[in-house]
Amino acid sequence: MNIIVCIKRVPLTQEVDLEIDELRKGVKKDALAYVINDWDNYAIEEAVLLQEKFGGTVTAITIGDEDDEEILRRALAMGADKSIRIEAGERELDGFTISKILAKTIRDLDYDLIMTGVQADDDNAAMVGIMLAEELGLSHAAVVTGMEPEGNAATIRVELEGGMDEISKIKLPSLLTIQTGINDPRYVSIMGIRKARKKELVVINVEDLGLSEDDLAQRTMIEEVFLPPETEGAEMIEGDPSSVAGQIIQIMKEKGVSI
Amino acid sequence: MLPIHPVNDTYFGLPGYVFAWAIFIAGLSLFFYIIYKRSLLIRSGEADPRLASLARRLSGLFFYGIIQKRQPRYLWAGVIHIMIFWGFVVLGLRSIDLVTQGLNIPIFYPLMQTAFGSFYDTFKDLFELIVLGACVWAILRRALIRPERYRGSHQLEAYFVLGLISFLMLTDMFYEGSALLMDQSGHVKWLPASELAALILEGSEPRFLACTHAVSYWLHILAFFFFLNFLPLGKHFHIITALPNVFFKKLSRGSIKPARWDVEDIDELESIGVEKIEDFTWKHILDFYTCTECGRCSDNCPANTIGRPLSPKMLTIKLRDHCFDRAPLIRGKHGGAPKEDSQAMVGGIISNDEIWSCTTCGACEEECPVFVEYIDKIIDMRRHLIETSQNPKTFNKVLMHFEKTGNPFGKPAQKRADWIKEMEGTPVRVLREGDEVDVLFFVDSYGSYDPAAQAIASNIAAGFHIAGIDFGILGALEKDSGHQIRRMGEEGLFQLLLEENMETLNEIRFNRIVTTDPHAFNTLKNDYPGSLQVVHYTQFFADLIDNGSLKPLRPLEKGNIYTYHDPCYLGRHNGIYDAPRKLLRAIPDLKLVEMERSRDRSFCCGGGDVMLWHEIDQEEMRMAEKRMQMAKEAGANVIVTACPFCYIHFEDAIKTGGMEDEMRVVDLMGLLVSTLRD
Ligand code: SF4
Ligand code: SF4
Repeated sequence: MNIIVCIKRVPLTQEVDLEIDELRKGVKKDALAYVINDWDNYAIEEAVLLQEKFGGTVTAITIGDEDDEEILRRALAMGADKSIRIEAGERELDGFTISKILAKTIRDLDYDLIMTGVQADDDNAAMVGIMLAEELGLSHAAVVTGMEPEGNAATIRVELEGGMDEISKIKLPSLLTIQTGINDPRYVSIMGIRKARKKELVVINVEDLGLSEDDLAQRTMIEEVFLPPETEGAEMIEGDPSSVAGQIIQIMKEKGVSI
Repeated sequence: MLPIHPVNDTYFGLPGYVFAWAIFIAGLSLFFYIIYKRSLLIRSGEADPRLASLARRLSGLFFYGIIQKRQPRYLWAGVIHIMIFWGFVVLGLRSIDLVTQGLNIPIFYPLMQTAFGSFYDTFKDLFELIVLGACVWAILRRALIRPERYRGSHQLEAYFVLGLISFLMLTDMFYEGSALLMDQSGHVKWLPASELAALILEGSEPRFLACTHAVSYWLHILAFFFFLNFLPLGKHFHIITALPNVFFKKLSRGSIKPARWDVEDIDELESIGVEKIEDFTWKHILDFYTCTECGRCSDNCPANTIGRPLSPKMLTIKLRDHCFDRAPLIRGKHGGAPKEDSQAMVGGIISNDEIWSCTTCGACEEECPVFVEYIDKIIDMRRHLIETSQNPKTFNKVLMHFEKTGNPFGKPAQKRADWIKEMEGTPVRVLREGDEVDVLFFVDSYGSYDPAAQAIASNIAAGFHIAGIDFGILGALEKDSGHQIRRMGEEGLFQLLLEENMETLNEIRFNRIVTTDPHAFNTLKNDYPGSLQVVHYTQFFADLIDNGSLKPLRPLEKGNIYTYHDPCYLGRHNGIYDAPRKLLRAIPDLKLVEMERSRDRSFCCGGGDVMLWHEIDQEEMRMAEKRMQMAKEAGANVIVTACPFCYIHFEDAIKTGGMEDEMRVVDLMGLLVSTLRD
């Protein structure tokens, strides 16, 4: 089974006091540390597990600059066989253009399955996976928490609202957006990542893909980015641990949480 | 020519010499064959340079090999061992004499006719009795007292060898004793062992005496060669390998071995760590051969004590058995393939839990009489587990945080110096590249971000301030020291952090580094390249008290009894036992008691690495809880420590153990600062 995994490098924002940039269209990024998007990490692991079990190849793809190659090498170290980076230069991209670029790149590749993370940790749009599937005319499923291939189909488990799960069959080739928790992604050591330099990493320039200017025109325009206004309502609970716990339970009960 | 000697007789129509030579040649050839086979595995081990510092090695050999300084740490067992060891040294000459007599090349015969010979005869006779006594004592100890630490050792082998040694003593006694009775010329020497035998044989017929004489000789020679060949088959190999093992012992403290000794750049390595037995260094394989199965390591191992699935002794025994399987005596390297492995070594024979149970506290290595190493081996196996993604999953995020943010919490580097904002009245300078400072205060990740450890760092800064020290911290420029990372087996990441820290340190001019925690202290001192001038805060402030720059004046609250817990990486790994005690003694009215396990026998709190992010399920109680019990038994109600990790573990243990009303933990710096201020 040949699998393509689309991945993205995102900033680590937990505990960071984000600051809005001068244009008020984004956040200041210079001091941020970047990591592989958590959802994508699960997607790679899932692809590698399937490849270990059923053979075939895993190809990791990202759009970005040279710094973003780090996550490709990480994917290669985890067990992917090949990787592709699409250099987009200074172009501003949104979910629509990203899915166009990815579709164009993937169209001629040989694959049975495409995986993406459900969403990316930066803007949480959760658009690219589904738009990409549409662009390629593939069957798709989102928020997948389990997958078992059978011939040219697969049984998949999908997480629904309200804590429900749905099990269904999907025909291959198809696209799945992978939910965290589907597996236990492996750790790859720094040495492992360095050694993955020996594996294939192809760089394609977005301008060479033959996309029209219309394809590359953003459909989502950010007007303004701002921090949520501080509101009333925070309540500091004080006291020793047992009385704090008691008060929290009291509040939860009042708000209708069944304990 | 010798006087009456059994080899002069004729046996089955052949002169005795023929038999003596046959036994000699067969015994020695077999012995060399076995040693050759055993050496194959050692030779296939990885490189490990152990020849530098010859003088230190020789002195180590003298004190720990010959004088056996570590033996009496277990008093009676040690005394017995020293008696037997010295017996072997003295009686070695006697054995060679007896063998060479039989070969009719009595090289020692002339020597034995001199005054030295007379003295030696008495001396060796005395030692025969001492060794015999020691063997009987050892057998009784094993059988009656049954020390717990022998559980899992090859007990039968121990009894058998003690019996064999006794047999060697007895045969020589009767050989000489019968000769005394047959020799009518009358002797003047005092020969206590031979005379004892003679007493038993007194009144026997001459024929019986002659027979006893001959049989004793032949049995002695046979037993001697049997013993020689039996040694390399089990734990008594140490009789041959212990002295070399002590000579080649690890001289540096606190450090972890590089991934490979003979390859500088780890990027050139196909894989790092130890997966199969040959991946160990030759010295580590020699360790396996040398272990005496005395169990002192496990007896002191905190992981073993609290019921984790790790016993260092058993780890060595299992790996020695595995060595013997991999390089069998029959059909070894040349005569066919070694036995097929039914089980992987790492993850099979040695379970992952065993490997992650170790806190690298060093208690085992401190105790081992023959200097078997554990920490480097365990780290090498961890390196393999990390490289093959077999680490506990809880490490994944932590390691990623270390890599991306330089701390285990994933907190932004920019917030690394946030703790100083809370320090009212104590300005703390945040250094920049190109700056100059007297004391570079290396706070490390816990001191920078963890609230409990931040308090310790603040107290240190306050101490500097009170003493008027020119000091500064690195703030966002500081990366985690990597102590934990290296000990978790993520060598590549450790190297990365080390490089980044070294770049920063090279850009700042300072006289010395002072650290919050013993782990950073240890790694900067022993794992980092060059020789950084680095001290732990206890050393630094002990010096200030010594030279009178600081004086604790304010007495403490009355009625408390304090005990000091030696952190492994301050004490055992770096030998700093006195500086913290000096600080404690400088505090007016502080009542200090020592725990039974203190100084180099300190009991680990749970450790500052793996334990922070991985729980070993199989555990009867927390190490820290055990330690708190020990503090209580010593009569203390306050345990003082000088390490943030000890502090955190003890604080936890007091809560989980329900000891809030009886016990308290304080950091030494907090205690000190509270006596410096009004
Ligand atoms: S270093 Fe400590 S925990 Fe590890 S094996 Fe030795 S005594 Fe046990
Ligand atoms: S390793 Fe050392 S202390 Fe442990 S059983 Fe062997 S000889 Fe004894």
